[in-house]
Amino acid sequence: MAHIVIEAVSKRFGANQVLDQCSVVVEKGTVLTLLGPSGCGKTTLLRTIAGFVEPDAGRVVVGGRDITAMPPNRRQVGYVFQNYALFPHLTVADNVAYGLRVQRRNRAEIAVRVAKALDLVALGPLAQRYPARLSGGQQQRVAIARALVLEPEVLLLDEPFNALDAQLRLAMQIELRKLIARVGITSIFVTHDQQEAMTLSDSVAVMRAGRIEQRAPPLEIYDRPDTAYVAEFIGRANLVPVRMRGGKVEGMAIAAPLPDGMATLIVRPENLRLLTGPCDGWTGRVGFATALGPTTEYEIDIGGGATLRVLAARRAGEAVIQAGQAVCVAVVDAAACRVLAGNRGDDG
Amino acid sequence: MTADALRRPGLPRLLRRILHGRGFWPAAPALAYLIVFMVLPIGTLLLFGFVTIERGRIVGDSFTLAHLDKALHDTLVWRLLWRSLWVATASSLLTLLLAYPVAYVFAELRGIWRMLVLIAVVSPLLTSALVRAYAWLVILGGRRGILNQALVSIGLIEEPLRILNTDWAVLIGMTQIHLPFMILPLLAVLDERDRRLEEASANLGASHTETFFRVTIPMSVPAIFAGLALVFAVSYTNFIVPQLLGGGNYSTLAVQVYEQTIVVLDWSRGAVLATILLSTCFAFVLAIVAFGSWLARWNEVAR
Amino acid sequence: MSVWIDRIGYALLVALCAFALLLLVAPSVIVIVISFEPRAFISFPPSGFSLRWYRSVFENRQLMDSVWVSLGIASGVAVIGLLLGVPAAFASVRGRFPGKAGVNALLLSPQMMPGMVIGIASLFFGAYFAFRASNAMLMLSLSVFCLPFVVRIVMARLAGLDPLLDEASANLGAGKFETFVRVTLPQIAPALLAAAAFTFIEAFDNVTVALFTWDVRGRPLPVELYYLVQYDNTPAIAAISALEIGLSFLVMIIVARTVGLARLGR
Repeated sequence: MAHIVIEAVSKRFGANQVLDQCSVVVEKGTVLTLLGPSGCGKTTLLRTIAGFVEPDAGRVVVGGRDITAMPPNRRQVGYVFQNYALFPHLTVADNVAYGLRVQRRNRAEIAVRVAKALDLVALGPLAQRYPARLSGGQQQRVAIARALVLEPEVLLLDEPFNALDAQLRLAMQIELRKLIARVGITSIFVTHDQQEAMTLSDSVAVMRAGRIEQRAPPLEIYDRPDTAYVAEFIGRANLVPVRMRGGKVEGMAIAAPLPDGMATLIVRPENLRLLTGPCDGWTGRVGFATALGPTTEYEIDIGGGATLRVLAARRAGEAVIQAGQAVCVAVVDAAACRVLAGNRGDDG
Repeated sequence: MTADALRRPGLPRLLRRILHGRGFWPAAPALAYLIVFMVLPIGTLLLFGFVTIERGRIVGDSFTLAHLDKALHDTLVWRLLWRSLWVATASSLLTLLLAYPVAYVFAELRGIWRMLVLIAVVSPLLTSALVRAYAWLVILGGRRGILNQALVSIGLIEEPLRILNTDWAVLIGMTQIHLPFMILPLLAVLDERDRRLEEASANLGASHTETFFRVTIPMSVPAIFAGLALVFAVSYTNFIVPQLLGGGNYSTLAVQVYEQTIVVLDWSRGAVLATILLSTCFAFVLAIVAFGSWLARWNEVAR
Repeated sequence: MSVWIDRIGYALLVALCAFALLLLVAPSVIVIVISFEPRAFISFPPSGFSLRWYRSVFENRQLMDSVWVSLGIASGVAVIGLLLGVPAAFASVRGRFPGKAGVNALLLSPQMMPGMVIGIASLFFGAYFAFRASNAMLMLSLSVFCLPFVVRIVMARLAGLDPLLDEASANLGAGKFETFVRVTLPQIAPALLAAAAFTFIEAFDNVTVALFTWDVRGRPLPVELYYLVQYDNTPAIAAISALEIGLSFLVMIIVARTVGLARLGR
């Protein structure tokens, strides 16, 4: 059931078309992540939903209500800012109570709801602290409590883990995921970190230049990317120019419903293996090998300046193939490859 | 704020933009106030130098260059201009000589010492200029002046020094009073400067003194000239200090402006002299700033 | 060899610094000290300790009247300064309109004018409309003179605020006015206090503008002092000066505790 509907939203800042007829639908109770590099418009889209940005065209519908023309203070969506935007002159409890005070709730109700919200994020004992004396992770939780205490229909989060150091990040991501599941609120995250997207979401929308390139559950995006751009953004991918003939890739047993001519083959590094003898694939030389422990990543020079990345599982004690060694690279599972029309190389 | 809260559906977008003003309207009262109470009055001031004034009102349609002519041909005016110029210049340079060390040392200090220096620098700023001038009057006074009393009692001199009512008194008074104006901007610049440039200089073999003259001072040239321009302007137009510390026979162009306007009540002459004062001050300040930027650019190239 | 030059140079630097600091502080200290002199002439060190000159100041009707006049004028200037300058600071920091640089320059331009020029200009402008010099005129022209102080101090604080806080407040349901009251105002309050205090003392102390626009019917304190200084030889002036220095110290503490003293230079 569609809870949030974004319909053909466009926005231009000066000469820059930041959002270009962007459309996406979010089901109730699910988590969508807007994923993309900086400048792709993901944060602008989030801010448009919150009302901080007025779109040039398009509609934003939440829970059946068209909120496109509504000012931000009437939209009733929860928003967590990248730097948390906690009010420095208010304590944690006052920060969380802010929205309730604006709604002119009575003191008793505010006290109860604030206590509940702080318990939800396990910050009860810090209620009287000021934000300056909290750690990054604690500040984030206050921001979340402040948004959730108002019981909004929707929660929007702008790169909430950016300000945390790497170690804390994964733990906080999992914790947040559980919290959202517990509360059952429809959420949209914005991030440039694809690992975050994989951890947090039911569904990922990869954005590029103001448009949504592909929207699907995380693993589907990974296994079946629609474009080279998406393939390269999630995980690592090899993009190899190949020739189609008669519905198959020339020289390999990979079928694809494409006309004869140039095409791009997308194959993941872990879907390739190295063989010493002749094989049904590419011949080349090992250019560089990185021993990662459980796996080894090889860079294979296949001639014409092109390289293939191969991720090979490594049994304990197994030797690493030396640089300069001649090898043959073969596809492991043809079904797990994607072939895209045209020879677009890295352009997608 | 990026949020546009004036979203009444009836209002067209352009009208909304104008009403919202993109944040201009809060400044409107202040701007209107300044135009009415500063721009127009200054215009009047310039105007009064070119009309005939009788008993505080303008007489008829008279636009005349007579007052300006008279002033420019008056040797007294030129003498006073010259004196104002050299007193202001000397005072500015003296102020710089004393201010730079304070700012430099401040940048090296930590903790409570910083606070003490700041207090020493800021407290004269908040004290009335009159009080400070009076203090110098008392200190530099003739036989009864404190300085003289002290020097005589120590036995350093026999006859009291005649400092008051001379150029020196005016110079000392002006320098001290304007010292905070020079120190504060230099303070900010020297405190926040990039020490690594000095470290690099030391690493390349320069002594502290060389580094000071080759790196530190050139780095602070813009702030130095900004301070010089400011101190020059306030010294050049200061009439309190020359009057009180220079004595009855001492005068500068600024003092003349005061006397003509308030004592002699020759408003036209006062206005013309004020115009000359302002325009020459502007010209000199421009020259200082121009020289400063030329120097800064030359530094860039040399580096 | 260069080590010696370094040492001498550094000693010279420190000596100049110490001399400058002494120069800055000594006059005020000396004035305060001689105000306690019991005899009727200036002497340093004072021959005794007496508060008689302070008493004479408080008993001096004319002087006390001028103090009240100055307090009134200074308060008025502070209020006008805040009313005009605070919104102007907002426009300068948060506005995005063409000609903003020009507006900024105009707002700060009174600083470039010597007080004397503003004084005479006001006097002549008033005369043009047949207004005589008066304390009202003084208050209006001092407000011009002091406006840049308010604008600069508030601008500095405002520029340091996180703009996202306003968005967060809107997101939590507050309209623009409520956001201003709940979020912006509490954060700029220290700057407002500092601006008011600084403007007050500048208006209270000002001589250069006052000497041109003062009212014969009620002389402000600096004008009173100006004439007093020229003929009075007793420590009475030292006593008044000491009181004024005390007041400025109070303002300094307020500024130090709100925006910090270093802010005054930027």
